[in-house]
Amino acid sequence: MTSLTAVIPKLYQEYTTKTSKKLKIIDAYLLYIFLTAVIQFVYCCLVGTFPFNSFLSGFISTVSSFVLAVCLRLQVNPDNKTEFQGISAERGFADFIFAHLVLHIVVINFIG
Amino acid sequence: MQFSLILGTIFFSLALADQQTLVLVDNLNIRETHSLFFKSLQDRGYTLTFKLADDANLVLAKYGEYLYKNLIIFAPSVLEFGGQVDTEAITKFIDDGGNLLMAGNAAAGDVYREIASECGFEMDEESAAVIDHFNYDASDDGEHTRIVVSPTNLIKAPTIVGDKNRLPLLFEGTGLILDKDNSLVMPILTADSTAYSYNPKSQVKEYPHAVGRKTVLIAALQARNNARIVFSGSLYFFSDEAFSSSIAKVHGDQVRSEVSGNKALALHLSEWAFGERGRLRVRSVHHHKQGEKESSNTYTITDTVVYRIEIEELKQGLWQPFEANDVQLEFVRIDPFVRTTLMKKPNGVYEAVFKVPDVWGVYQFKVDYDRVGYTRLYHSTQVSVRPLQHTQYERFIPSAYPYYVSAFSMMIGVFLFSFVFLYYKEDSPKTKSE
Repeated sequence: MTSLTAVIPKLYQEYTTKTSKKLKIIDAYLLYIFLTAVIQFVYCCLVGTFPFNSFLSGFISTVSSFVLAVCLRLQVNPDNKTEFQGISAERGFADFIFAHLVLHIVVINFIG
Repeated sequence: MQFSLILGTIFFSLALADQQTLVLVDNLNIRETHSLFFKSLQDRGYTLTFKLADDANLVLAKYGEYLYKNLIIFAPSVLEFGGQVDTEAITKFIDDGGNLLMAGNAAAGDVYREIASECGFEMDEESAAVIDHFNYDASDDGEHTRIVVSPTNLIKAPTIVGDKNRLPLLFEGTGLILDKDNSLVMPILTADSTAYSYNPKSQVKEYPHAVGRKTVLIAALQARNNARIVFSGSLYFFSDEAFSSSIAKVHGDQVRSEVSGNKALALHLSEWAFGERGRLRVRSVHHHKQGEKESSNTYTITDTVVYRIEIEELKQGLWQPFEANDVQLEFVRIDPFVRTTLMKKPNGVYEAVFKVPDVWGVYQFKVDYDRVGYTRLYHSTQVSVRPLQHTQYERFIPSAYPYYVSAFSMMIGVFLFSFVFLYYKEDSPKTKSE
């Protein structure tokens, strides 16, 4: 327990100081998506699954957005440069936008 | 195209005068001793051709066409049939839809046994007869084989035996037993519980072939092709003597009757056996969506469907509306999803209104009416049930609005995020240069 209490402030400090602002923007975006997904899930548990396709598309759109944002975060993180050689941050962002286009077309088609 | 299959109905309605019947006898005396029975057949329009059973020129079919629709075998003493007739030919005759009325007696030979076993009956050994020491007639010669059978022992099937059998029946002949597993054979008349089947001249040493109510005196079979077979253990049953003799039971309740019930039963049995009774056919089938007139072979899930079938029964040579309360319809996709009793409407029309299940696939409307004494009525129509079309779904359901909001917020989110992400300038270019 002592180690945990020691680790958390350290983690927080490292995060605030070492992480670039750009990644922090992505993290904020991720948090927003995560909260939307949780709210939807709770709503579904309370109301029931009746328009199940609507629930699925709404929920899947948040999950996919989350996954795509995480991918973007990995690609633009300077620490991972060796992993994504030849893929610039701009290229990563273009992929991100393209994937989002496909995702939202599918979501709108399915939401009913 | 509507796919329809009609089994269990006979497509053509031959005038009864065309009913060619071959009568095989072992001596031509039978024509005289059983004249009442034959006369009633002729009166009903049958053309009877009498032949000796061992006639060398016997044929059932010529150039692949049957010469006869019905076959009567009243020849218990025959050892082997003549001409081209043998057990195999008779079996094939039945397989091809011919009707058979056969009567034997205690002396019946192996040919009888073979034909009986082909039809699912088992006949007792030669010279064995049904004996009943408690229910024999006064005219019995001491062996107690001329037994009096109560009409309550008849099968409960008015189509086969009629519903006016009140008089006791005279029977003298051999007993049959039926295979329990054979669902097509029916015991028309069974002996009383005191009867057994054994050689009356010898002492009972072995367990008898048939005992008590399991002793079947007259058995019938309706094959899957609706060919009908009536097999009586007694030829005497159909004789003029039995038709007209009075009955006086010696023991027990001492039933007395001026006349036996044999005639009425024999005539009714022959009417059933030769297809004058209990024949059903489908006249028309119609199904459509409720509220529409046009028939369709595609329905959408949860549609309400109206199914109508018109059934006819042959009565006195005419196809007339069939009356029953137990005709059922099944809506089948491998398993029946709906099974409902069809409502009776006037003129032999049966109707069912039901909701197509919420499961799509290829279904069949099936009417399978199989009742004792009636030909099997089977009709199936294939239809497909499809899911809702894309435009048929409900839109903008109030409880789905949070999901809509979430989906659109994701879109706006990524839009705004793009701006922020693209236009944000890093404070420390140092990290970028690394």
